[in-house]
Amino acid sequence: MRPATLEFLKQRFAEYYRTCYLSPPSSLEQREWGFIFLDASTDVRMRRHMAFSDQRELVDYVRNMVPAHVYYSSAYYRTPAAPTMNDKGWCGADLIFDLDADHIMRGPYAAMLARVKEEAEKLIGMLTDELGFSRRDLSVVFSGGRGYHVHVREIAVRGWSSQERREIVDYVRGTGIDPAVMLAPAGGTPPAGWRRRYLDALREHLMWLRGLERDEAKAHISVLKGVGEKSAANFLDSLDRFIADLRAYRTDDIWRDRTVRAIAAAEIEFENRVRDLGARADEPVTTDIKRLIRMPGSLHGGSGMRVVPLGAGDLAAFDPLVDAVVFGERDVKVEMKAEMTTSLCGNTYALKKGITTVPEALAVFVCCRNVAEIAGEAADGS
Amino acid sequence: MVGVHHRIDPVKYPFLEESQQIVRKQIDSIEHFLSGFEGREALERAKERVIDALTHRGEFFQEDIPKLLPRIPPERELASYALARILVSCIGDRLLIERLCRYEAQRSVFLLQNEDGRSFPEIRNYIAEKLNIDLEKDDMPVVMYVELISQMRDGRWRLVNRDVRDGRVRLRPEETIDLLRERIRVVLHQKMPLRVPPALCDRIAPIADEIAASYQQQLLEQFGAVEEEAFPPCIGGLIHAITAGTNLPHMARFAITAFLHTIGMSTTEIAEIYARAPDFDPEKTMYQVEHISGRGGTEYTPPSCATMRTFGLCTNRDRLCERVNHPLSYYRIKKSDKKKQR
Ligand code: SF4
Repeated sequence: MRPATLEFLKQRFAEYYRTCYLSPPSSLEQREWGFIFLDASTDVRMRRHMAFSDQRELVDYVRNMVPAHVYYSSAYYRTPAAPTMNDKGWCGADLIFDLDADHIMRGPYAAMLARVKEEAEKLIGMLTDELGFSRRDLSVVFSGGRGYHVHVREIAVRGWSSQERREIVDYVRGTGIDPAVMLAPAGGTPPAGWRRRYLDALREHLMWLRGLERDEAKAHISVLKGVGEKSAANFLDSLDRFIADLRAYRTDDIWRDRTVRAIAAAEIEFENRVRDLGARADEPVTTDIKRLIRMPGSLHGGSGMRVVPLGAGDLAAFDPLVDAVVFGERDVKVEMKAEMTTSLCGNTYALKKGITTVPEALAVFVCCRNVAEIAGEAADGS
Repeated sequence: MVGVHHRIDPVKYPFLEESQQIVRKQIDSIEHFLSGFEGREALERAKERVIDALTHRGEFFQEDIPKLLPRIPPERELASYALARILVSCIGDRLLIERLCRYEAQRSVFLLQNEDGRSFPEIRNYIAEKLNIDLEKDDMPVVMYVELISQMRDGRWRLVNRDVRDGRVRLRPEETIDLLRERIRVVLHQKMPLRVPPALCDRIAPIADEIAASYQQQLLEQFGAVEEEAFPPCIGGLIHAITAGTNLPHMARFAITAFLHTIGMSTTEIAEIYARAPDFDPEKTMYQVEHISGRGGTEYTPPSCATMRTFGLCTNRDRLCERVNHPLSYYRIKKSDKKKQR
């Protein structure tokens, strides 16, 4: 990064922090803090093991140092500034989930953002409707990059170890589903949660198989372990009945069928269908009880966007490419290192390689992402 | 009507607060108690409990009842429960502690199942309530459920395989007994290892040594002599990394140490493996090894393949790996396969 670019970003970030309201996390004094700086000297990438006794102290630090990234621990410690984890004295941690588009799909930024938002909605639905966490205890945070974080501040789960947290993240992801449990006839009430999702996925899968040419369908299923000529034929003849059964969530006949069991046990397409119904939260983030997480209200140094705290109900209307943009429209001259198309604040920009003039917000974005430098001698007039 | 707690035999449920009170009323100086005949008898019975916990496998049957309820005065039997916990705390081995807690939970629940049909539900609910879980309804809150089952291995207990709605998990009536057993085990485990004054540990050291010896013997019998050639690829890879001087993350060190400990290697033998590293620091290593295999913390069993994978430690998988979901099973199978080949 050229000095001019660095200076430009520093000034813009400083301006943001001078006026913004930084809302501190609960029990601020028990959290560990970590910072990464714009002109990161290479030996210490992150300055961590820091602690602040109150909001004033934190805000002063941020205003003076103008960090590129601000993190705090999901954990609460007795001595958060202690240099080693053992000395900190862990006394609990928020339950957090990380949804990162990078782990879900590749594609244009806007498409990734839209996709990861769907995941966030699925996650929140499961956390509240099924697992019973209150919406009030939940905060959803746009990460400023390519994802969302969900913080659950329910006190009852603070003391949980990784093991208990794993139960929850496995649940939302649909990891560890036992087909025998899902397919076993249950009777009584219509299924809820994963059993319902699973049987729905199976029905869709069988409908897809029914839509294929018979030979094609046969070829598809007879590669599965334990499926012979005869059971494949039987299965295909029973498809209509099976689909009707699944519509009523009746599994008495289905679970005895060899082909169905083989599909449930090993078929990749079916597995994908089921997995798509889960929310793709990052497992290690949730089970790590000492994680550092971005501070809501801070800026993401890799995009210049704001890390935006949202209520669980605000997600639907939230558009990161508008609502997480904090900088203005003043013209700034940048030199693009490569061509790039992106949208911001409702406009789409097709930027060519070379020098071009763009609104300040976009200039911050491209400089943070390291695809452009500030052009010309002075960074700006201020 | 007489309250249910009057019909409870404390000897069957020694972990209940009221049962322990009986002991406390009888014994004011443990030192004094242990030097008398009664104390010696109680200590002998405590040893029996621990050895039984080590050797007992599977379910209990009717013919086990005399062994589970020996004819000694109740206060001595109750004291033996506490002494057994003190013994394993002095030895300080996680696996041993784990075994004892599992055993005591299993013992009490078996005796509960043998109560008469009328007392059974009452006593069950009474114990559950004392241990802060509610088994009277056909469901329980998600948070309580997760805390209860997170260490149960069987896949059917995983939250993802349960009927979960509106923050509650459905339970089938026949499951309550398993949940109660697990709850007892967890509660018994919570305060372990007990903080025992060194003088008391010294006092019972001869018995503790006997137990430790029989325990080592048992590990040897279970896994046989250590055979490095039968280690799963992940563990082999990690040991290789140590030899090469790689600075391993905590989880990796934990995985090796817990694995080696479980298959019967002593702390010193494990430290010898670490000593293969070029920058070996004996003091630090001993501390870490002891920490993982002995004191404190809750996670003592070596991680499963799934966990290994999560932490990126499942390396060089081979064909046998497809048949196992735990590095220990890999080791066991490979060892017995090798024996057959010979
Ligand atoms: S599959 Fe299991 S045993 Fe095999 S290398 Fe991976 S973790 Fe080790």
